Amino acid sequence: MHRHEHRLMHRCGFPRGCCFIAPPFLLDRLAKEGNAEQQQAALATMAQSASIRTRRAMLTELVRTRGMDVAALVPTAGAEDRSVYDVEHGGYNDLPGRLVRSEGGPASGDDSVNEAYDGADATYTFYKQVYDRDSVDGSGLAFVSCVHFGRDFDNAFWDGGEMVYGDGSNHLFIVGSLTKAIDVIGHELTHGVTQYTAGLEYHGQSGALNESFSDVFGSLVKQYSLGQTADQADWLIGAGLLVPEMGGQALRSMSNPGTAFNGDPQPAHMDDYHDLPDDNDPRNDNGGVHINSGIPNRAFYLTATAIGGNAWEAAGQIWYQTLTERLGSTSDFAHAAEATVEAAADLFGAGGTEEQAVQKAWEEVGVPVAVSA
Amino acid sequence: MTITRGGGLAGLTRQTEVASDALPPGEAAKLHELVEGAGLLSDAVPRDAPPTHPDEMSYEVTVEDQGRARTQRFSEQTLPDSVRSLIAWTDSNPERPPG
Repeated sequence: MHRHEHRLMHRCGFPRGCCFIAPPFLLDRLAKEGNAEQQQAALATMAQSASIRTRRAMLTELVRTRGMDVAALVPTAGAEDRSVYDVEHGGYNDLPGRLVRSEGGPASGDDSVNEAYDGADATYTFYKQVYDRDSVDGSGLAFVSCVHFGRDFDNAFWDGGEMVYGDGSNHLFIVGSLTKAIDVIGHELTHGVTQYTAGLEYHGQSGALNESFSDVFGSLVKQYSLGQTADQADWLIGAGLLVPEMGGQALRSMSNPGTAFNGDPQPAHMDDYHDLPDDNDPRNDNGGVHINSGIPNRAFYLTATAIGGNAWEAAGQIWYQTLTERLGSTSDFAHAAEATVEAAADLFGAGGTEEQAVQKAWEEVGVPVAVSA
Repeated sequence: MTITRGGGLAGLTRQTEVASDALPPGEAAKLHELVEGAGLLSDAVPRDAPPTHPDEMSYEVTVEDQGRARTQRFSEQTLPDSVRSLIAWTDSNPERPPG
């Protein structure tokens, strides 16, 4: 084994992962060809990084043929496991970047790192305490956050295994704001929950539902952390992130879709559904997934406010059961409406106030549901 | 050159245009260098963007040079570092409007 590779593996001496994530090809080689110590270290490092760990089949096979214990390498179910990486303005191929904070580790001097860490905790705690869900996959999947992606990067996204945050440019997003919004963090992590449950495809109506569930639970993470009832919540997503020139308060309004900022395109009713082509043209937003999400968002807002109290309780339970047990990858608005009504009946009794609230909400946004007597 | 960005957490479409003849000579030369270095003037088959992960942005870059227009599309995942640098350079132009 070359000295260079050996140095990378033992760079910092920490038992769990290294300060520098070695590139996947190198970890592969060490896992297959290294001595026992190097194999163990390589496999442990691979298990650390969610994005590399999506190659579970290979990892499991290696461990099986080498006779190692998978459970010892993979984070224990039932324990929160956060790590934050600094992409140092790199691009996609530089993910996840340099490990800067691990679970239980000290605060960083970098606010973005601490905000991503704390926001991930708020989301983990919310799902665990309210729905008894252990991380996005329900089995304690490590929360990996990557900050300082790109340069002046006006976005945050879920890449299938980790959350990625830009700094913003002060042209669209205020610099440093993307990691401050707990609902944005909840929104991104909920894409992970959806990935492991309904698997709603990210285009057309299923994509708009995917977006809506992220807004719903992102908003609930915020409401839960603030101890707000449905009446007290502002029902805004990403409040205070946009520069003043965008003329508005937030990215989206769940209570009043279309009013969040100047030119907010969201519809509040099916009559105004934006039937954009589902192609790879950046202008079409995969068939308007961030636009048409306004309709199911409003249905949730109406349900939560009609029922009253804390939105994460009745309304949130209904939506949670719907997402995790009732929807599939191609579910459309009609299916979701039907499923939420059935979930309400299942959880709170057929013909109850909850079921009625759900049915009325969907009717009001133009997605009527026939309820069997 | 026109850069169109869409999708993202905000779901907005933003278009940024740069005309080299509206730039000071040094900047115009830099633009040409970046565009050429990114392979955007080549006649290779135009790339289309693959489907994106949730809230990922996608990009379309159109370059008009001597009467010919060439368009390529990228997702966040396929965006080459050279094009990423070109976009960053464009964004740092002081005349960039909000959004």
